[in-house]
Amino acid sequence: MIHRPVTRRRLLAGAAAACGASLIPARAHARGSVTAAMYPGTWEEAYRTHVAPALKKAHDVDLEMTPLFAVDQIAKAQAARGAPPFDAFVLDPGPRVTAIERGLFERFDAKRLAALAQLPKDATDEWGVTVAAQVVGIAYNPKKVPRPKAWTDLLKDPWVSRLGMTGFQTTYGTVSIIEISRQLGGSETNVEPFFTEIRKVLPKIAAIGAPASMPSLFQQGQCDITYTNTQTVATLRGRDVDVEFVTPESGAVAFFTTMHIAKGSRAADNAYKYFDTVVSAPVQAALMQPPNNLIPVNRGVKLAAGLPMTSLDEMASFVRHDWSKINPLRAGWIERFNKEVAK
Amino acid sequence: MTAPAAAGALGVPRRPGGAGPWAEWQLALPLALAYAAFFLVPLLLLIAISAFDDETLTTVGFAQWRKFLGDPFYWKVILDTVKLGFYTVVATTLIGYPIALVYLGAGPRWQRVILFVVILPLLTSVVVRTFAWIVILGREGVINQAVLWLGLAPAPLRLLQTEHGLVMALTQIEMPLLLLPLLSVMSRVDPNLADASAALGASRWRTLFRVTLPLSLPGLLAGCMLVFASSTTAFISQFTIGGNRLVYLPLLIWQQSLVVYNWPLASVAALTLLVSVSLGVVAIAAIGRRAQAYAS
Amino acid sequence: MATTSAARPGDRVVRAAARRRASDALYTLTIGLLAGVGLLILVGPVVIVLLTSLTESRSIRFPPSGLSLQWYQLLFDPVSSRPIHRAALNSLQVAAVAMAAATVLATLASVAIGRRRGRWVRALDTFFMSPMILPMLAFGLASLMYFTLLGFRPSLTLIAIGHIVVVAPFVLRTTSASISQLDPAWLESSASLGAGWFYTFRRVTLPAIAPGIAAGAFLAFVASLDNVPISLFLAGPRSDMLPIRMWGMMESTLDVRVAAVSGVLIATVIGLMLVMERVVGLTRRLRG
Repeated sequence: MIHRPVTRRRLLAGAAAACGASLIPARAHARGSVTAAMYPGTWEEAYRTHVAPALKKAHDVDLEMTPLFAVDQIAKAQAARGAPPFDAFVLDPGPRVTAIERGLFERFDAKRLAALAQLPKDATDEWGVTVAAQVVGIAYNPKKVPRPKAWTDLLKDPWVSRLGMTGFQTTYGTVSIIEISRQLGGSETNVEPFFTEIRKVLPKIAAIGAPASMPSLFQQGQCDITYTNTQTVATLRGRDVDVEFVTPESGAVAFFTTMHIAKGSRAADNAYKYFDTVVSAPVQAALMQPPNNLIPVNRGVKLAAGLPMTSLDEMASFVRHDWSKINPLRAGWIERFNKEVAK
Repeated sequence: MTAPAAAGALGVPRRPGGAGPWAEWQLALPLALAYAAFFLVPLLLLIAISAFDDETLTTVGFAQWRKFLGDPFYWKVILDTVKLGFYTVVATTLIGYPIALVYLGAGPRWQRVILFVVILPLLTSVVVRTFAWIVILGREGVINQAVLWLGLAPAPLRLLQTEHGLVMALTQIEMPLLLLPLLSVMSRVDPNLADASAALGASRWRTLFRVTLPLSLPGLLAGCMLVFASSTTAFISQFTIGGNRLVYLPLLIWQQSLVVYNWPLASVAALTLLVSVSLGVVAIAAIGRRAQAYAS
Repeated sequence: MATTSAARPGDRVVRAAARRRASDALYTLTIGLLAGVGLLILVGPVVIVLLTSLTESRSIRFPPSGLSLQWYQLLFDPVSSRPIHRAALNSLQVAAVAMAAATVLATLASVAIGRRRGRWVRALDTFFMSPMILPMLAFGLASLMYFTLLGFRPSLTLIAIGHIVVVAPFVLRTTSASISQLDPAWLESSASLGAGWFYTFRRVTLPAIAPGIAAGAFLAFVASLDNVPISLFLAGPRSDMLPIRMWGMMESTLDVRVAAVSGVLIATVIGLMLVMERVVGLTRRLRG
């Protein structure tokens, strides 16, 4: 080897071969694996740490994850119709309804879950299983602005000039705007009062940004109050960001994150095993601990301090929305938001 | 069409049988075929999707086109998008060309330093770049602190999520696209020409506009086209730095394709962007040809 | 007064020279000032990212609360940063393949059309540039539909193909710019001296357009490395890409490692430049 001169050509050929070889996907995991779409960031980290080992131990199934936000999962599954790029969805209620309408799920048989008895009655349906709850309210920086009380405080002084807003693109943004409208006399299907009010205060609002840039905007003091879920607040607090969660007077909003089997999946059996592991009490308890901060749905889990409720049953009193009514209106709201907010 | 006079203009032979410049054309075939297979077909797919009325792609029709082109708001969005590209091109040229001139006059060591500085923006991911621009343009940001300290304004200026701020950020982000082609062309411009011009008594301004600029024009135009195309389509930078107050075509495409899944409308917006940006690029090329004809 | 200046023509020359000096000074000042502002704008955000990556605090924050290398340590930790390493490896592979393929294809194409004028050439050139103009989000979506129709499943190979298409215009533009400035007399003289076309191409054309090719190849590499929209759609379960992973880290946790990745990239490029300088310097000395 040493005596052979390494020519440039040979080096290039070697490099090309190496690259080519690694581009051919490894298909060594045909049996005993499930591919799950997973929210990037905290969720993926938490599932890699807790769910993947538990699934391997209990069922000898490997968990492969594709990091995708809910909206990207729907687009991807729809574009690849019939040949889903993953076996299991993880979705918020809005995209879930869209996926049902577009026929992207396999039917779900709740009886195949061993942990079924420990789940609340409405945690499963014919399409999937609830794996986590999300609670949405107001987040503010206690060092900069006084504690807000109600949703409508967001559009009043002194908060409005420190307000960071997102539009209808996210689930938490949509439900928050609906709640503001409700306090102003609107309803789940009527956000007109919000648009009327926003027009008056628009120039004062500190930031109307992309969801992705909100944590940075908050951290750097561009805005000091916004709407978001408890999980984000807990995660940012764990990273020493000055932020606190407030439950508005009219109640926080709760919605559920659900998992579903993709239509045409060839690993449905393993998907059930995956769901069963996710909702099992020990895994739900681990997912609740910082830095994961996911709200559990298994009754066998004792809720951590710092959550806006002490038991899962209290969530019945939280504000809930009907996404089958919201979804058809959302496209119009997004268009309206663009037009109202653009300079 | 003016065929090249020289036999095999780039050293590529003419076929002895008199095939003429055809041999050289063949070199464009691999790329053309690759594009036909992996770009043209998806593009045709987009065109096909845009010709459906409904989101589930069942009824053929032009309802989405009518909706989009019949709404003055969307025309304003198209105009804003093209304007954004135009402002970015002007800003990058205005401060990028002087950097190229300094580069031209510098010694080899400094040339390497400048080259390194020029590629720096490419080495920070789009994800952190957003954070850096929040730090710079924010209410409590670097610029506002300087402005308040100097007493130039009584209260913090609003820079973040404004067009000015976005153009400034895009100027940094797109600068390498202008400067790399420009510098690669400029480094081959004969420095003796500028010296000769100076020796003949021309002022440095005259030398710049009569000698250096015309000679470096191909590089400048290439750069301007890249900057224009890239800044008008840079969805992530536009949205994360510009925020929701600034609505450009890429934001509409994202909302329609990934939030409300109205793919026909998303395709309409995408094709509109393609057409309007193409027109911009063609305009830059036409200005370039005019300028070249004028200079020679 | 007026009569003196008319009477002494030498005066006019002196005054013209003074005006010339003033104009040249203004030139130096203007160009220097603009270039200075430009360099500041280029460097500023990068400095902020680098300082942020050295923070002691637990989240991305500026100004940093104290300096430490802890986030770099964590970034290189083989256990806790394993997903980042895997994604980085994927991204580097795809970028290398996309750059190599795009450079070869686009250089050939620009040799073919770089020096020609005419409607067809212009049309072809516009066609070759159009992937840059088509919003990548839409292209990613359309590509996924197309590849699914053909029966392929998302994978690194598909990502690489998608990237080749969108980065080739960078090479085409920079290389064409270099070619259009090539002096045809060189090529003619080479040919008239009896050199074969490939010899002429290799010894005359290629060295002359090398800076353009290099600039384009570099742009292509980093454009692929930083691409989000195409990768988002064409990525499968085992083809996690670096920018998408960083996106999640930044959005949900303000993870400082996101900034540290840029620090590593910058250090790598400085290292490469120093090595290249050594190598180039060495070969030059050997030749001389």
